[in-house]
Amino acid sequence: MSTERLPLVSRRDLLRMTGAGFGMLGLAPLLAEQTPAASPLAPKPSHFAPKAKRIIHLFLNGAPSHVDSFDYKPKLAEYNGKPYPGGNLRTERKTGSLMQSPFEFKPRGESGIPISEIFPEVGSVIDHCCVINSMYTDVPFHEPSLFMFNCGQRLAGHPSMGAWLTYGLGTENQNLPGYVVLCPGYPVVGPQLWTSAYLPGAYQGAYVRNTERDPEKLVPFLKNPSTTPEQQKRQMALLEGLNEAHLERTGPAPELESQIHSMEVAYRMQVEAMDAFDLRRESEATRADYGEGDFAAGCLLARRLVERGVRVVQVYYGNSQPWDTHDDILRMRELAGDSDKPIGALIRDLHQRGLLDDTLVVIGGEFGRTPTVEVSGRIKVQAGRDHNSHGFTTIVAGGGIKPGLRYGATDDFGFKAEVDRVHVHDLHTTLLHLLGLDHKRLTYRHSGRDFRLTDVHGELVPGILA
Amino acid sequence: MLRLAVSFCFLLSALPLTAATALEYFETEVRPLLAEKCFGCHTQTKMGGLSMASRQDLLAGGASGPAIEPKAPERSLLIQVVKHEHERIQMPPGGKLEDEEIAKLVRWVDAGAVWPDSAAAAPKAGDKYEVTDEQRRYWAFQPVKAPTGDIDQLIDAKLVEKGLQKAGPADARTWLRRVSFDLIGLPPTPAEVDAFVADPSPAAREKVVDRLLASPRYGERWGRLWLDVARYSDERLNSTQDEPFPNAFRYRDWVIQAFNDDLPYDLFVKAHLAADQLEQQDLAGHTREELAPALGMYGLSPKFQDDRIDVTGRGFLAMTIACAQCHDHKFDPIPTEDYYALLGVFNSTKTSERPLADQAVVQEYESRRKAADEAKGKLNAYLAAQAHALVDAFAGRTSDYLMAARELLLEDGKGLAAAASREGLDPETLERWRDYLGGSPREHLLLDEWDALLARKASKEEFQAFADGFQTKLQEVIAERRRMEKENEIRLGGDDSAGKAARTELLSLPREEYFLWRDVASGEGHKLPVRASTGVLYYDGKAIERFLAGPVADYVTRSRAQVAELEAAVPEKYPFLHVISDVAEPKNGHVYIRGNADNLGDEVPRRFLTVLCNGEPKPFTQGSGRLELARAIADEKNPLTARVMANRIWAQHFGRGIVGTPSNFGQMGERPSNPELLDYLAARFVAGGWSVKALHREILLSDAYGREATDIAANHEIDPDNKLLWRYNRRRLDVEALRDAMLFVAGTLDSDAGGPPVMLDEESNHRRTVYGYVSRRRLDNVLGLFDFPNPNNTSERRVPTNTPMQGLFFLNSELAMAQAEALVQRAADEAGEAPAKRIERMYRLLFGREATAKELSLTQKFLAEEPNGWPLLAQSLLSSNEFLYVD
Repeated sequence: MSTERLPLVSRRDLLRMTGAGFGMLGLAPLLAEQTPAASPLAPKPSHFAPKAKRIIHLFLNGAPSHVDSFDYKPKLAEYNGKPYPGGNLRTERKTGSLMQSPFEFKPRGESGIPISEIFPEVGSVIDHCCVINSMYTDVPFHEPSLFMFNCGQRLAGHPSMGAWLTYGLGTENQNLPGYVVLCPGYPVVGPQLWTSAYLPGAYQGAYVRNTERDPEKLVPFLKNPSTTPEQQKRQMALLEGLNEAHLERTGPAPELESQIHSMEVAYRMQVEAMDAFDLRRESEATRADYGEGDFAAGCLLARRLVERGVRVVQVYYGNSQPWDTHDDILRMRELAGDSDKPIGALIRDLHQRGLLDDTLVVIGGEFGRTPTVEVSGRIKVQAGRDHNSHGFTTIVAGGGIKPGLRYGATDDFGFKAEVDRVHVHDLHTTLLHLLGLDHKRLTYRHSGRDFRLTDVHGELVPGILA
Repeated sequence: MLRLAVSFCFLLSALPLTAATALEYFETEVRPLLAEKCFGCHTQTKMGGLSMASRQDLLAGGASGPAIEPKAPERSLLIQVVKHEHERIQMPPGGKLEDEEIAKLVRWVDAGAVWPDSAAAAPKAGDKYEVTDEQRRYWAFQPVKAPTGDIDQLIDAKLVEKGLQKAGPADARTWLRRVSFDLIGLPPTPAEVDAFVADPSPAAREKVVDRLLASPRYGERWGRLWLDVARYSDERLNSTQDEPFPNAFRYRDWVIQAFNDDLPYDLFVKAHLAADQLEQQDLAGHTREELAPALGMYGLSPKFQDDRIDVTGRGFLAMTIACAQCHDHKFDPIPTEDYYALLGVFNSTKTSERPLADQAVVQEYESRRKAADEAKGKLNAYLAAQAHALVDAFAGRTSDYLMAARELLLEDGKGLAAAASREGLDPETLERWRDYLGGSPREHLLLDEWDALLARKASKEEFQAFADGFQTKLQEVIAERRRMEKENEIRLGGDDSAGKAARTELLSLPREEYFLWRDVASGEGHKLPVRASTGVLYYDGKAIERFLAGPVADYVTRSRAQVAELEAAVPEKYPFLHVISDVAEPKNGHVYIRGNADNLGDEVPRRFLTVLCNGEPKPFTQGSGRLELARAIADEKNPLTARVMANRIWAQHFGRGIVGTPSNFGQMGERPSNPELLDYLAARFVAGGWSVKALHREILLSDAYGREATDIAANHEIDPDNKLLWRYNRRRLDVEALRDAMLFVAGTLDSDAGGPPVMLDEESNHRRTVYGYVSRRRLDNVLGLFDFPNPNNTSERRVPTNTPMQGLFFLNSELAMAQAEALVQRAADEAGEAPAKRIERMYRLLFGREATAKELSLTQKFLAEEPNGWPLLAQSLLSSNEFLYVD
C-alpha cells in the first residue's frame, strides 16, 4: 500500500523522527501539506487557468430598482405619467403609467457611468466595476427567481452556485469553511438558497447569522465553554492515539483517515475562525470606512474571509426581502443609506490590498423593478414599482472583469433588456469561466443524470471580460 | 484488459456481412439496441445536437462532429464514446454497454453502417406518443422472475464469475454491533454482547434478529428510512415564516408503528394514497381509521401537485414521472399525458383535517371558537368606528391644536395642561400634536411650511393662516381616503385574497397625502419623534376608553367581558390528522403544452401509467381515482413496487442498493448490480405477504451480511466500490444513530415513544432523534451538519460527508460534553472508583469489548497528565472512529 493512501502513517513516522509528539498547533504547516485527497474540500485544479480565485456575492434581496440606482433612463422623466409603449409585459401585479425616478443621476468616475445620487460611494468606485444593465431572468416572482440566481434553476432542490464552486475547486484554507453565507435572519426561501442539494453535504454554505459581532456566537460550537486550550490539546492527542490504535486493527481505510483529518482541522479551526470572524481585530479607521449595521459588518467579514482563503462568501442584505419596494420607491434612500458605504468600502479595500485582481464581486438582486408604478395589491401608497424579470442590473467587479464598463442596455424606459442581453445562466457561465471552470464540464451525477449549475443553458459573455 | 476483451469479441463477430445480411443485422441487432439505449435522447430531443434517427443524421453528427465514419469504427465517435475511449464523452449515460453490444455496433459500422432509407426511427413531432415494445422490454418493466438459489448463492455466483475474493466472516461482537445499529439504531449493551458471544447454538443469530425486530426501537429506526422518502416535516412550507403543523407527528408515529407492526407493505402503500377509501378486500382486517394517518404523506406536503406526483413516482415506483410535465419523458416511456392523467387524480384531491375526536367535541370546539371570534370581531369593529368618529371630531379642531402647539414649541416647553385647558383641548392629544409637529424628517412635505414658520418664528397671524388651511386639507384627505376604501371594496367584490388584489387596479392617496393620513389619522402610527403605535388622532384599544361615556362605555365594558368569557370557554383544539380527501366533483386534467398552464391541450382521463398497463390504460372511475391508483401501484404484478422497496431495504442494510439509485429505476438510473438477486428479494417479499420483517430476517442471516469490513486490495481492479458485496461496507453512523447512541451509552436516553416533536437544540431533550422537530425553513444545526436530507424533497439516500464543522460538534457541543460527564458517572456507578475498572466499563459500554493494553496505557497516561480528565477522556471515546463507524 502506498503512503499516499495512508498519510497518517507517514505523518506519524515523521513525528517519530522529529520527536515532536502530538501537538496539533505546531504541526499545522506540516499537516497542510498532507491534506488527504479524501477531504472533500481539498483544493482542486480548475479546468483552465482562472482569472479569479474567489468570489463575494452581495445579494440585495427583494430586488432593488435598477432605474433608481444603476440604470439611468432620461426618457423616464420625459414620459412620466404616460403609458409604457412597449406592450403588456408580464409582471406580478397590475402596474400603471411610467414613473420617473425621484433621484438624480450623475456621471461618475473616469468612465462616466451615470449613478443615482443615493449610491455616492458605489459611484466613487465605479471605475473598478462593470455595470451589466441588460440582465434578465424568467419569471417576476421572488421564490423561483431567488432559486434561479442562486441555484441556476427555478425550482427548489438544486445546488447553489457556492456549492458548485466549492465542489469544483475545493477551498484554499482547510481551517475555515469553504463557503460562508452571512445574513441577518433569513432571506425568503431560506437555507435552500445555499444548499448543496444532491452534491455532498460538505459543499453546502456554512450559514452565519451575522446579527452578532462576537465570533463565539457566530459559528456553532466554535468555542468550548469549559475546556482550556491546554486541556484540549492533550485531549486531541489522546483521541489521535486512540484512533491510530483503531486504524492499526482495521487496516488501511481512507474513510477513517479522513475522519481523523477532519477532527484535526476542526481543532485548528477554533483558533482560525475565532480570528477570521472577529471584526474587533480591524482598525477603527477600517470599521469606520465600512460603516454601521449588519450589512456593513457582513461586507467587512467577507473581506476577512476571502483574505484567508475562503472560496465563496455570500452576504445577504437583510432578513426576508428588504428591497421589495412595492409601495414607495423613496424607501430606496434608506436601503441605499446603509448599503452604499459598505459596498464602496469593500471594493476599495479589496483593491488597496491587491485582492480585487483575483476576487470576483457580484452585486445585485434576483430581478429588477418596473419603470411603471404599481397600482394594485394591498399596498399603502402608489409610489412604488412591481417585480420585473425582463430587465435588471447586476454589478460585477474584480478578477477578469473589464472595469469601468456599462454593458448592455434595457429599452428607453428600463423595462426590458434589449442590447446584449445577459440571462442569469449566462452570468453563471461567465463567473464560472473566470474561476477557471467550464460550466458544461462541472457536472455531478445524481439519480442517473449529469446535473450542472446552468442546466442545459448558458453562454459566455465575452464582452465583460477584461 | 478491457480493451483486449472488446477486440476479442470484435474478432469473433467480424465475419463479413453481405448486403442482405447487413440489412437484417441492422434490424435484428442494431436498431433495437439503438432504440433502447440511444433514441431516448437522440431523436426528438437532440441532446448534444445529435439526432440518431437516420444514417444521414449520424453522418451529419452533432456538436462534437460526425457520429460515424462508415467502415472505420475506430475513427467513429459513436464507437469511441460507447467504448469509453473518448476523453470527454461516455455513452450511454445509464452505464456502459455490454461488450457484446459494443461489438455489434463496431461490426455494423465496419460493414458500412447499413440503414434502410425509408425507415424513420422515431415518431414525428405531433404524433401521439406510443410506448414501444422495445421500451416495454426494459429490465425494470419486466415481470419479476424468481431465480433459483438464495441470497448467498446469487451473490457468490457473481463473485466467482468476476474472480473476486470474499472477506471472511465478521466476529460475533462485530456482527452483533452491526445488526443492532442496523435494526434499532443503537449499540448492544455489554450484557447482550456477553450473552451472544457465549451462545454457541446455531440459532443464536436468529434469536438476536428476532429480539431486535420485536423491539419498539426497531420502528423508530426503520420508520425514519421511510420518512426520508416521504419528505416528512413538522411544519408547513412557508417562505417567510415558521409555521408549525402541531398534528404532523401523528403521521410520523403511524409510520413508526406500521414498521413495528410489520404492516404488509402493499397495504402500507395503499393506505398512503387512499386509506379513506379502502374496501374490505384491501383492508386485510385493518380499519380505515387505523390507516388514515398514512394520508399525511400527502396531507402534510406543500400544495404543489408536481411534488405529489414526484413523490408518488419516485417513492413507490422509482420512476421520475414529474419530468413529463413539460414534454414526453426524454429517457423513460412516460408520455406527457401520463403526467396529466395523474395530475387529474391529485387535482381531484384536496387537503383536509380529519378530527380524532367525537363529532360532539368537534362541534363544541367549532361553535365556541366561532362565537368568540365573532364577538371579538364585532367589538373591534365597534371600537374602530368609535376611533374614526373621534378622529373626525379632533380633525375638526386641528387649527386650535396647531395654534396651541405653536405656543408650546415657540414660547415654552411646559404649561401643556394649562394651554390645553385654556382652549378646551385634550392634553394627551395636544401633547401628541406637539411632538409630531416638532419632529423631523417626516415622510411627506405637507408640513414643511409649518417647519419654516417655526424656524423663523413667524407671526401668530401667519401661523393662524397656515393652521386654518391645514385643517381643511386634513379633513379632505381623511374623507378622500374613506371614499377610496369603499371604492376598493367594491372593486375587490368581497374577495380579500392577495391574488384578487394583485389583479385589480386599486385606488390610493397620492404619496404626500397618504403619509399625512397615515401619520395623523390611521391606526398605523409613525416614527416622530419616537415610534408611535397609532396616528396622532387615533386612539385604539384601552386608550380610547377614556373618551367613551354613558351607554357607549357601558356597551364596550360589557362586550369586553363577554369576549373574555367566550374566549375562556373555547376548549383546546381537538386533535386531528392532516389528510387528503376527494373534491366534490373530480375532474380530468388537460395537458399543459410545454408545462404552461395558459396553453391547454387535450383532456386526459385520470388513469395509471401507460407502460405499467397491459394495452390501453383504463380510465379511473371511482372519485378522484386514488383507490384505483393505489391498487395499481400495490398490485403484486406491478414489476416495480416490490423491487423498489426490496432495494431500499437492501440499501439500508448494506449501505448501497442493488440499484444504486433507489428512487430511479429508469433509463437514467443505475442498472442493478445483481438483477437475479433483486428479483429474488422482490419475489420473496411478495411471497412473504409483503412482510418487511421477514425480508430483514432473510437478509441479516445471510453470509454476505456477516462478512468482515476488511479491505482486500486484490479486488480493487475488478470491483473497487464493492458493488458485488465481497465485503461488508464500513459506515459512519447517521445523525440519528450518532446522537441516540451517545445518549444511550451515557445512560441518558429517554425511551418514551411518540408524541409531539421536541426541539433538538433543547438541552433537556434526551429523546430519540426521530422525535426531534424537523423544520422546512431552518433545519436543526446538528441535523444539517450530519447530512440529514432536505425535507422539501423526497430523498433516496443519505450522502455522508465528513467536514471539520462536524468535528467542532464533538469538541465543543454541550451535547457531547454533557454525555461525556454522564458516561463517566455511569461507569463509576457500575464499576467503582478504580481507574482501570472504569475505563474497562466505558470500553464495554461503547464498543462491547475490553480495552487493549495499549489503550489502557494511553488513557491512564492521559489521566496522569490531566487529573480531572475523566470527562475529557469520555468525550474522546465518544468522538473516536470506533464509536462513529460500524464495521
